[in-house]
Amino acid sequence: MLSRVVLVSANALKGSSPLGAGLVQASRSLHTTSQSLAPVPSLPEKGGKVRHGIFPEEIFQLLYPKTGVTGPYMLGTGLLLYMLSKEIYVINHETIAALSIGTVIVYGVKKFGPDVAAFADKLNEDKVAKAQEVKDLAMTSLSQAIEEEKKEQWRAEGRSLLFDAKKNNVAMLLETNYRERLHMVTHEVKRRLDYQVALQDLNRRMEQEHMVNWVEKSVVGSITPQQEKESIAKCISDLKALAKSTQAMA
Amino acid sequence: MAGRRIALKAIDWVAFAERVPPNQRSMFNALKTRSDAIAAKLASLPESPTTIDWSHYRAAVARAGMVDEFEKKFKALQIPQPVDTQTSAITAQEAESNKSASAYIEGSTARIAQYEQQLDKFKNMIPFDQMTVDDLNDTFPETKLDKVKHPYWPHKPIAEL
Repeated sequence: MLSRVVLVSANALKGSSPLGAGLVQASRSLHTTSQSLAPVPSLPEKGGKVRHGIFPEEIFQLLYPKTGVTGPYMLGTGLLLYMLSKEIYVINHETIAALSIGTVIVYGVKKFGPDVAAFADKLNEDKVAKAQEVKDLAMTSLSQAIEEEKKEQWRAEGRSLLFDAKKNNVAMLLETNYRERLHMVTHEVKRRLDYQVALQDLNRRMEQEHMVNWVEKSVVGSITPQQEKESIAKCISDLKALAKSTQAMA
Repeated sequence: MAGRRIALKAIDWVAFAERVPPNQRSMFNALKTRSDAIAAKLASLPESPTTIDWSHYRAAVARAGMVDEFEKKFKALQIPQPVDTQTSAITAQEAESNKSASAYIEGSTARIAQYEQQLDKFKNMIPFDQMTVDDLNDTFPETKLDKVKHPYWPHKPIAEL
């Protein structure tokens, strides 16, 4: 990992070495360095590829053209044997301890690594999901608010209808009032004329009745007792004759 | 002396009802019932009154000249139109409501512009999994940790963790 860092920084230095001190000053004063203009590249998803957990893939790729697939392994074996035989690395008790601890660590990581990684990823995902939720909610509520505002504007446009209705009402009331007045005038005049006619009729009827009563009274008064007796006798004789004729017929 | 023809604008009550907001619905219903009652009353009255049969009365009433006098006076009578006191008030109301409505619409459009702006910000945001903490602080200024007020980690009161 450290070797990879060295390689990368070496490349970077190689690229930037033409920039002398003077040029650095000039580019800073102009605020046109490539550092500030380029968009930030996105973060890599995974770390650099390694073989056997520690050896970066770049070494293998570096040595492949010259020594093929087995080159780096041969290099590693040679280096190890050189260090052991020349006693550059001395085997002592610490070696055993290092090997045991190394074994345990490797075993632990291999067994529990994925679970721990998943747990950590889940924590991160939850944060992202929560933020996403907030964003979605905000977006829906904003678009809804826009819709509502537009609807309220549309509603406000209909205000002329209200005033039309009010004016109509006023006009209708006035017209009703006018018609009522007309009708009232006609009705009153007619009533008075009818009253005159009815008055006349009443007068005539009363005169008639009075006259009839007077005639009756005078007629009844003019019947003398002598005439009354004679008319009663005549009625009785007529009745007797009638009774005889009906008896004869039956 | 017939009734006059007045200019009544036909009102589309259905369209009107659609535009009424729910909190003013009761007022609208009251207005509608009142308007319907007035219209019904108007429709129930005939436009011109029944004409009086003068010849019949002339023959029937014995008093000389009474019918003629009545007829003359009746024909000469002019019934005044009722005075319209409310229309000016209504026009004034309408002008005022137009003013307040345009003010409201202005405010509403300003609000819509604001909402649209925020919506655009959300739409053009970079996705969360490609953001750095600096990007997050730029997009949502409320997430920025105040390192001056709380100089020690976690840079916010413990209650807000």
